[in-house]
Amino acid sequence: MKMIRNRLAVQLQRHVLQMSMSTNAAAAAAPAEGAAISEFRTAVTNPGEHSALQVAKFYTIPAEQKKQIFAGGGLPKQYEQQIKTFTEACLMVRNPALEVLEYIKKADLSKPVVRYLLYGENGTGKTLTMAHVLHYGALNDFLLVHVPWAPNWMKRPKEASNAAGQEGMIDLPFDAAAWLVHFKGQNSKLLQRLELKTSKEYVWSKRESTPAGSTLLELVEHGIARIKYASETTAALISELKLLSTAGKCKVMVAIDGYNAFFHPVTRIFSDNKQRVTPDKITLTHPFLNITRYDWTNGVCILSVDKIAMTEGHMDSYMPRYLLGTEGFEHLDPFVPIHVENYSDKEFHSYISYYLDRHWINKTPQGFEEQLKFMSNKNPYALMQLVRAL
Amino acid sequence: MSFLTRIVGKSTSFSGIRLMSVYPQHYVEPIVQKDKQIEQKDELTKLHHIPIKAALNKSSDTVFHDDTKEKLLNYITKKGNSALARTLLSKAFELIKRTQTERLNLAKGDKDKVITNAEVLLKQAVENCRPLLQVTAIKRGGVTYQVPVPITTKRSYFLAMKWLLEAAREKERKVSLPEKLAWEILDAAHGQGRVVKRKDDLHRQCEANRAYAHYRWS
Repeated sequence: MKMIRNRLAVQLQRHVLQMSMSTNAAAAAAPAEGAAISEFRTAVTNPGEHSALQVAKFYTIPAEQKKQIFAGGGLPKQYEQQIKTFTEACLMVRNPALEVLEYIKKADLSKPVVRYLLYGENGTGKTLTMAHVLHYGALNDFLLVHVPWAPNWMKRPKEASNAAGQEGMIDLPFDAAAWLVHFKGQNSKLLQRLELKTSKEYVWSKRESTPAGSTLLELVEHGIARIKYASETTAALISELKLLSTAGKCKVMVAIDGYNAFFHPVTRIFSDNKQRVTPDKITLTHPFLNITRYDWTNGVCILSVDKIAMTEGHMDSYMPRYLLGTEGFEHLDPFVPIHVENYSDKEFHSYISYYLDRHWINKTPQGFEEQLKFMSNKNPYALMQLVRAL
Repeated sequence: MSFLTRIVGKSTSFSGIRLMSVYPQHYVEPIVQKDKQIEQKDELTKLHHIPIKAALNKSSDTVFHDDTKEKLLNYITKKGNSALARTLLSKAFELIKRTQTERLNLAKGDKDKVITNAEVLLKQAVENCRPLLQVTAIKRGGVTYQVPVPITTKRSYFLAMKWLLEAAREKERKVSLPEKLAWEILDAAHGQGRVVKRKDDLHRQCEANRAYAHYRWS
């Protein structure tokens, strides 16, 4: 009798599994028609309207917005690949992002800027949380000052040369120009609309200068065209942004991923006497340290500290105090720490159904979800790695 | 296979031959998969007093396990570095899934036709590459003849996987093994590609040399 009951239970479970799979198959066709929406998706595509109702649900970033915000980086490479494969840019609404969004919405912008610091284990979704917040910023007329991955400058710069005028400093002209292109791509529409003007004249050389009262767009374009002066242009642009936002002419959202790279003991850049330089000897570091101070208003700072922004020997803990070091911690103090954690049960389940919906998981034996949960410890990146061969 | 036939098969056939096994002949193979255990529950009760071999170290009952996959992993492995082999194969599977999923999303109309399951595709590929015959060199009267001989199922699977891997390893240095392996598997699964051609060539040679077939026994 017991055996029969067992067998019945197994059959029932299989039946339910098949049913759920068939509904998934139906859901795959749904977004194209725009009709029914599966339970793990939400139709609210404006991050400003996300609330606890949408937790663990996927929202789609429209293609043109994604192109505007993330064309120059900002999403992890493997996530970009996933987006390409699934032919839709979906982000899961998660608690850390909601927390930041709520703080930003309620914050009084006339007060000095608040620094939000994302921290957490490897692969928990700090960058994607930042992406979610960036999307909010882009839709709500924030000027984005976004560094997709700061350690790139310290670890693998395109070119390093001695800075003109500043003794012992090192310029990263190509990286600075690339960042300016990224800034222009993200903000060109808003910059054209706001018509922000520079406050003073910038003299680059004997023949070149940017007069006071020229638009920020002109300043940026000059930096892109004259790569030699890109680093100085970046510094000028950021100090202008600080002045303008303090004057109330614009709102600025600063988002720097891998912020602790600015406080790493050494970089992989060599100076003339074959010595590794420290990050504060790089001209590009200073403007971004400058804009993360709290001496300006009308802005928000979202920063993230990451273990993999450091190098071997400095990756023992993911805590901000350890990663930033004394100097960095004092620079940033006081900040709002936001812990990005592994998936909750609900989020995990939602992600699995998303993978099933996108035909990314093809094997569904009994209890596979439990196995994946156990193996990945509900860590988003680990889950991504585990399901790639399923 | 029911357990009785298994036991009978073990005890009668090859009773005179000593097999290379630590287990005596009457030991039966273990059933590792949980769903199979449940399926054959009433039969298993009869096994109470029959000794069972210990399960293999590598055998498992997880989503990640697949017999064909494990076999191919053994062939990919070099110098015992099976961890590397596993990452290579899972990368290849990922690439297969990527191409197939993109194809699925671009497909108009019949979406069920596109298989996104990489393991199924691998099995299809291996099935398509399996030879029925092979040729061996046999010397008769001072002349060596290429004589077609039938091969066992096991060897045919071995050859299919070996050929797939050989085709994957024959590449430019810039191309990674997972990439090439993914292409070869996808090609072979659709009945095209170099490996299927290799099999067909072998069959053709066997067909051409069928006049020598009797040298196998005379």
